[in-house]
Amino acid sequence: MFKNYIKTAVRSLYKNKGFTAINILGLALGLATCLLIVFYVVDELSYDRYNTKANRIYRVNEDLKLGENNVQYAVAMPPLAKTLKVEYPYIEDATRIKNAGTTHVKKGNINIVENRVGFVDASIFNVFTLPMISGEPKTALLEPNTVVLTESTAKKYFNTTDAVGKTIVFNEKENFKVTGVIKDVPKQSHFNFDFFVSLESFPDSRSNEWLRSDYNTYVLLKDAKDHTKLEASFPAFLQKFSGSQMQSELGMSISQFEKSGSHFRLNLTALTDIHLKSNRSGELGPNSTTQYVYIFSAIALFILLIACVNFMNLSTARSSNRAREVGVRKVLGSSRKYLILQFLAESILVTFVATVIAMIAAAAVLPLFNQLSGKEIVLTVESLKWLVPSLLFIILVIGSLAGSYPAFFLSAFQPIDVLKGKLSAGFKGGDLRSFLVVFQFFVSILLIIGTLVIYNQLNYIQTKNLGYNRNQVLVVQNSSELKDQAKVFKQELAELPGVKSATMTGFLPTNGWRNTRIYFKDASFDQKKSLFPQSWEVDADYIPTMDMKMAAGRNFSKEMMTDSSAVILNEAAAKFLGFSDPINKTIYQSSGGDRKGSAPNVKECHIIGVVKNFHFNSLREKIEPVVMTLGQNSGALGIRVSTTNITALMGQIKDKWNSLSPGVQINYSFMDQDFDASYRTEQRIGTIFVIFTSLAIIIACLGLFGLAAYAAEQRTKEIGIRKVLGADVSVIVGMLSKDFIKLVCIAIVLASPIAWYGMNKWLQDFAYRITIQWWVIAVAGAGALVIAFVTISFQSVKAALANPVDSLKNE
Amino acid sequence: MIKITNLEKFYRTEEVETIALNKLTMEVNTGEFVAIMGPSGCGKSTLLNILGMLDDPDEGSYVFNGIEVAHFNERKRADLRKHNIGFVFQSFNLIDELTVFENVELPLIYTGVTAAERVKRVEEVLDKMQIMHRRNHYPQQLSGGQQQRVAIARAVVNKPKLILADEPTGNLDSSNGNDVMELLTDLNEQGTTIIMVTHSEHDARYSHRIIRLLDGQTVMENIMV
Repeated sequence: MFKNYIKTAVRSLYKNKGFTAINILGLALGLATCLLIVFYVVDELSYDRYNTKANRIYRVNEDLKLGENNVQYAVAMPPLAKTLKVEYPYIEDATRIKNAGTTHVKKGNINIVENRVGFVDASIFNVFTLPMISGEPKTALLEPNTVVLTESTAKKYFNTTDAVGKTIVFNEKENFKVTGVIKDVPKQSHFNFDFFVSLESFPDSRSNEWLRSDYNTYVLLKDAKDHTKLEASFPAFLQKFSGSQMQSELGMSISQFEKSGSHFRLNLTALTDIHLKSNRSGELGPNSTTQYVYIFSAIALFILLIACVNFMNLSTARSSNRAREVGVRKVLGSSRKYLILQFLAESILVTFVATVIAMIAAAAVLPLFNQLSGKEIVLTVESLKWLVPSLLFIILVIGSLAGSYPAFFLSAFQPIDVLKGKLSAGFKGGDLRSFLVVFQFFVSILLIIGTLVIYNQLNYIQTKNLGYNRNQVLVVQNSSELKDQAKVFKQELAELPGVKSATMTGFLPTNGWRNTRIYFKDASFDQKKSLFPQSWEVDADYIPTMDMKMAAGRNFSKEMMTDSSAVILNEAAAKFLGFSDPINKTIYQSSGGDRKGSAPNVKECHIIGVVKNFHFNSLREKIEPVVMTLGQNSGALGIRVSTTNITALMGQIKDKWNSLSPGVQINYSFMDQDFDASYRTEQRIGTIFVIFTSLAIIIACLGLFGLAAYAAEQRTKEIGIRKVLGADVSVIVGMLSKDFIKLVCIAIVLASPIAWYGMNKWLQDFAYRITIQWWVIAVAGAGALVIAFVTISFQSVKAALANPVDSLKNE
Repeated sequence: MIKITNLEKFYRTEEVETIALNKLTMEVNTGEFVAIMGPSGCGKSTLLNILGMLDDPDEGSYVFNGIEVAHFNERKRADLRKHNIGFVFQSFNLIDELTVFENVELPLIYTGVTAAERVKRVEEVLDKMQIMHRRNHYPQQLSGGQQQRVAIARAVVNKPKLILADEPTGNLDSSNGNDVMELLTDLNEQGTTIIMVTHSEHDARYSHRIIRLLDGQTVMENIMV
C-alpha cells in the first residue's frame, strides 16, 4: 500500500514538473540559507567552549571612573593574578596574557612580521585547554626566554613539529628557547596566538604596581558557583592591596576616591561571555556582539518560515487538482486514515528531497560564505552529530505541517462531490493562503527596509567627513624598527617628489596606538575638574599631513622651543574643560612618581590651539577628548602622497628603507584601507544581510509565482469566457493581479512601522547615525509591489493571451 | 439484495430546498440487471450514489444484503463498499498517475490482497477485457473505449456482488458503447447484479427491467422480455 502511495506521489510530482521544481527548490533554497546561518550562529556561540574547564574560567576586569571619564578595561593590574591565587583558596589557578603586538621573527636571513604573539604565565596550560604535542605543559614556560609554538608555526619555522630545544629569534636579537609545541589554537577562541612567550622573561611581569592595568587576567575557580562570592569580595581586596599605593600616588584613600564620585573596581566576565558580550578596552582581539547573533537567528527563522509557507501554499494549491484522485480512492474503498497518511508521506518525501539538496548546496557554498563572513567554518563528523538529527526533525515537522492541510482537508471530501467536479470551482482555501502570502511579504519588506537602513548607515560612515583626509596617505607601520634612523627616513621621504608631507607618530587616527593620561583644570588636582583624555605624542607635521583643520590657535611649530610644554586640544576636550576661549590657558598634569607628600609633582601645559574634532574611534562611539603634545614617537610614519604613480613612489620608499634597515621588511598600508578594515565587521554584516534578504525575496517570489500560476489555472475557464465576451488582455491581467497586489499592500502597511521601529533601535548603537527617511519605506514598499507584480504578470499575461477556445473546449 | 423503503433526500441551499428523492421505494434482486432512466434532475444519480453508499439518505431505509446501512458511518460504509460494490462512471475516473495495471490493482490493495494474488487477478481480468496489451500504459494513452474497459476491469476485479454504472456509455461512440454494454451483459450473466443509470433507450434494452424516475419518484417500471 505504502509503495502505491509513493508511486502516485512521485508520478504526480513528475507530472507537475514546474510546481514540483518551484516547491522543492524554494524549500531547498530556504533550508540551505537557514543552514548557513545556523552554522554562523553555532560558530559564534561556540567561542572558548573548546576549553574543558570553560565554565570555571573568569576574566577579571577593571572599571575606572575618574571625574566624568569612565573606562572599562579588559585588563587588570600586574600583581593581581598571583595575589588572587594566594588570597583565595577556592581559586584553583590564575594566569595572565599580554598581547605582544607586532614582533619580528627571524627565519633564515629575513625577518617575518608576526602579529599573533602573546606573553603568558606558565600556568596558562593549566587554565586553558591547549594540548601540548611535545614538551611538558607544567614546566614549559617557567623559565625566562622560553617560548611555546603552535603546531603550524613550528612547521613554518622549522618544517617539523618536533621543535623543542630549537631557538627562535625575536626582533633581531632576543633568543628564546622552544620548550613546547601545542596544537593550533581553535579559531573559536577570544585569543589567537602562534607564539606563547614566557612572561618570566620580562621584569615588568613581576611589577607590584596596583594602579595600572595591562594584563588580561584569568582565574580558574574550583567551583563555578564561587564567582559571585569572589566578585563580592573585590572591594575589600582592593582596599587591602592597592589602598596604600593610591594614597601615595593620588594623596587620598580609596573611600575618599569613591566619595569624590570616582571609582576603581574589579569585576568578572565568564570566559564564554567574552566573545559575544564583552567590548572593553584592551581586549585580546575584536569581539562580536550578541546583537548579530540575534539578528541572524531571526533572519534564519524568517527565511525558514517563508520557505515553509511557500511549500504549504503550493502543496495545498496543487492538492485541489488531486481532489478527483481522492474521490476515486475513496470510492474504491480507501479509508480516510490511509488518505491522510498518503498526503503526509508525500509531503515528507518532498521535504526530504529538498533537505538533501539544501545540505549539499550549503556544503558547496560554505567556502564562499566563509569568505564573506570572515569565518572558518568546516563541517566535521562532530557537527553532523547534531545536524543530522535536527535535519530529520525539521523534515518531519515541515513535512507534516505542509502536508497536514491537504491531508485533513481533502481526505474529508465526500467522494461524490469531488468526482462530479463540484469542488474545483469553490475550493480555493483562500483565507489561509492569503494570510500566508501577507506573512511572506511582511517578512520580505522587513528585510528590505532593514537592508536599506544598514546600507545607508554604512554609506554614511564611509562618506562622512571624518575631520581628516584618509585618502592618499601611505602608512609605514613599523618605522620604529629604524630606531634612530627613523628621523632620517622621514626627512628623506619628505624630500621625494610625489610626497607632500610626512608625520611620524604611532597615534594616527586609523592606528591602534592609544594612550590616556589625566589632566586637571587647576593645580589643586580636584577630581571633579579632571580630564581623562587621549594623550597623543605627535610632531609638528601631524595636523597638516592628516589634513586636519584648526578651530582656533595654531599648530605646533618646530621653531618655537616653548612648544615642548604646549598642547593642542580637540574640540571635545576644549568643550569638556569648559574654557570659553582655551587659547593660552593652562592645564595641569600629574607627573606621577615617588613623592610621599600630599601634592604630587605638577607639570604645566600651555594650550596653543584647538583642532577640529576628528573621528578616530568607531562611529558607534562619540568623539573622545584628545590632548596632543609634541614628542618623538616613531611608532608609525604617515606620508601624504600627491602622485598617481604610487608604484614608482613605493619603489623609491622601499629603496630608502632597505638602505637604512636591510634586515627588516617594510610593513606599510594605506590609510583609507585601514579605515575600511575597521568597519569590516559592519561591511560583512551588511553584505550578508543583503544576500540573505535577496534570498528571502527570491523565495517569497517563487511562492507567489507558483500561486499566481495556480490561480490562473483555476480560472482558465473564466478567463476564456471573459475573453469571448470581449475582455482585453490588460483587463484580465489586472483581474488576476488585483488579489495578490492587495495582499502585498496589507503586508506593506503592517511591516513598515515595525521595521522603522526596529531599525531605529539598531541605529541607536551609533553615536553618529542617519535618520530613517520616509523614502526608505516608500522604496521598500514600491519594490515589493513591483517584484510581486512582475512575478504575477508572468503567469497572468500568459493566461490572458491563451486562446479562449482551448480553455472552453476542455470542459 | 437491495430493498429501499420511503427513501428521501433533500438538497438545501440558503434559500431553496430541492427534493431529490421523494419517498422512493424499490427492490432489486440478486442477479438482476436494472436500468434507471429519467430526465435530467429526476434524482437518478442521487439514487445511484445512495445505493453505492457514497451518500446518505435523509430519511427512509436502505437494506443491503439484509443489513440496514442507511445510517452507517463513513468507515463502515467504506468497508462494506470495497468488498461488495464496483463502480463504473461516465467519465471513467481513472487515476492519471497510475498505469492500467495499477489502476485495476487499486481495489485489491484496499482489500488487503497479497501482491502475488493481485498480479494473478489483475492479469486475469485484463485478459478478459482484452486490454492486456495495454497494461503498462497510462490512461491518457488510451481511447475512450479502452479507458472504460479499464474502469470496468477495475470495478470487477474484486468480484463485487453489485456493479453500479453511471451512464457508462455517455462519453463513448456507439461502437465502443455497444462493446461496453456487451461486457456488462456478460458480467450479469455470470451472476453479478447490475444497476445502471442511463439516458439511452438503446442501452436500457440490455437490462431486465427499467425503472423510470420523475421528480424523485418511480413513475413506471418496464419489465424487459
